[in-house]
Amino acid sequence: MPRNPLLLIILLLTVRPAMAEVHPASTRDQALDLLNKTTLPDSSVFWPNIKQPLFIANLKANINFPQKIYQGSNTNFCGYAALSYLPLNDDPLAYTIFMLSLYKTGEATWNGIHFKPSPEVHLAAGTLRFKGILDIRPADQLWFLSLADHFRSYLNFFTRHFHPGSENTFWAAVNYGKFNRMIRELLGYRVEARGSDLIRPDIADLYDFLKTTVARPGTTFLYVNNTYLHKKNHNKFKGSFPTHFIVLNDIHRIDGDPDMVDIIYWDYGGRTLRQVSLRFLKKITFGITHCIPPAP
Amino acid sequence: MTSRIPYRRLSLAALTLLLLATSCARLNISNYYRRHRPILDSIEHTYHDAYLKKPFSIEFTDRSFDHVSLELVTDTLTYIYEYRFDETRLPDTLKKYGYDTTSIGWLIRNMRTRNCTWIDNLDYYTETNKHSLIYISLWPRSFNSPFVSKKYYILTYFQQQQYFDSEGRLLVGRRLKRIRKINGDVYHRINDHVCYTISDRFR
Repeated sequence: MPRNPLLLIILLLTVRPAMAEVHPASTRDQALDLLNKTTLPDSSVFWPNIKQPLFIANLKANINFPQKIYQGSNTNFCGYAALSYLPLNDDPLAYTIFMLSLYKTGEATWNGIHFKPSPEVHLAAGTLRFKGILDIRPADQLWFLSLADHFRSYLNFFTRHFHPGSENTFWAAVNYGKFNRMIRELLGYRVEARGSDLIRPDIADLYDFLKTTVARPGTTFLYVNNTYLHKKNHNKFKGSFPTHFIVLNDIHRIDGDPDMVDIIYWDYGGRTLRQVSLRFLKKITFGITHCIPPAP
Repeated sequence: MTSRIPYRRLSLAALTLLLLATSCARLNISNYYRRHRPILDSIEHTYHDAYLKKPFSIEFTDRSFDHVSLELVTDTLTYIYEYRFDETRLPDTLKKYGYDTTSIGWLIRNMRTRNCTWIDNLDYYTETNKHSLIYISLWPRSFNSPFVSKKYYILTYFQQQQYFDSEGRLLVGRRLKRIRKINGDVYHRINDHVCYTISDRFR
């Protein structure tokens, strides 16, 4: 123990951010323990299409392998899947409490926000098909649908109510402001955001900014134009607006090529390392959000 | 006045011909598959065997089929690299991650020859059972005329026998009569294991 109080303060200031990063608000073991001790009804009157064994298996998979959460193919759930990265990694117990309450009572509260999904969502959870592994992930369906049903923004203005197939439409879309708001209000994180839905952030040295940001405690999200990042056609004319959220884990320059960088990011249920030019990265990046978890 | 009538008729005839040309210029994917079946099936078999050893996918990123992007899937990370198809860095990268350079090199050469823009393995579910299929997107250069649809022609190879309705559309299963969609598209029968669709997306 240092005797000099000034040295102690310096030590605490240096060590605390790192502690905040490695010590989440709760642990996987706590979440699994709660799940194992909770008795759930074989079927839920609130969620008639959710099979209880699949629901429990899905929660366990999310707690044990938080990076595997998958939005489903051809859905607009990427914003909700990216958001899930935070509670699954930092506070799996709070996530589990919320999901169990939602399953048992049909409604639940998290951080003072009360969720009471619409009857259409109650019927739809567990029925989404042809979405890859999301087909057999009823808890994820319930979670994504409930978030989309609760949090609305101008993108959802013309699609206010859920209809079968709405998961692929603007009903489920998430814009930048809504994404930041969900993290701030629902999870209580401090959100530092640069960017918008249409105009790229004016950052002189993007590499330096991102490198510094990811090195800080917390989680960094990028709001990107996915028609370039995850190309699905070879059309020359592409929309120049962002559509996708990714978690930026790391960025570093490639030796011998100052214009190229390796970015390591999470999306679609896994981490990817990709070599891109800084010009490309600047072109696709419309938002940079850094989230700092609330003090335990 | 009378001289304008033949002009109108000619214009109408030209327009009709143009419309006919546009509507007829869609590639018949079933015939294409039957004509090129040996090489397409070889691509599928080679990919299937190589994927079982170590998962990956291949994408040609440009219209001239000169640049190839590899997605190399490991337990912790998916690595995405893009090279010119003849760059030496390409086999070097495959070697570095322990991939079979011979079969993947063969795949890249033959995909380029046959205008396959993408090959991947997709998981799909019937009830709670997981299955997989091989997904090949074709983007034939030979059909690059102004009247031809710029869509992708997609072949899916299933491991199990599939079931179809009276119009040849792929169903979820023998007992489940719902139409199955893959990547949001409805698929049609070529044979019991191979289906096709025409799509705006190659994946």
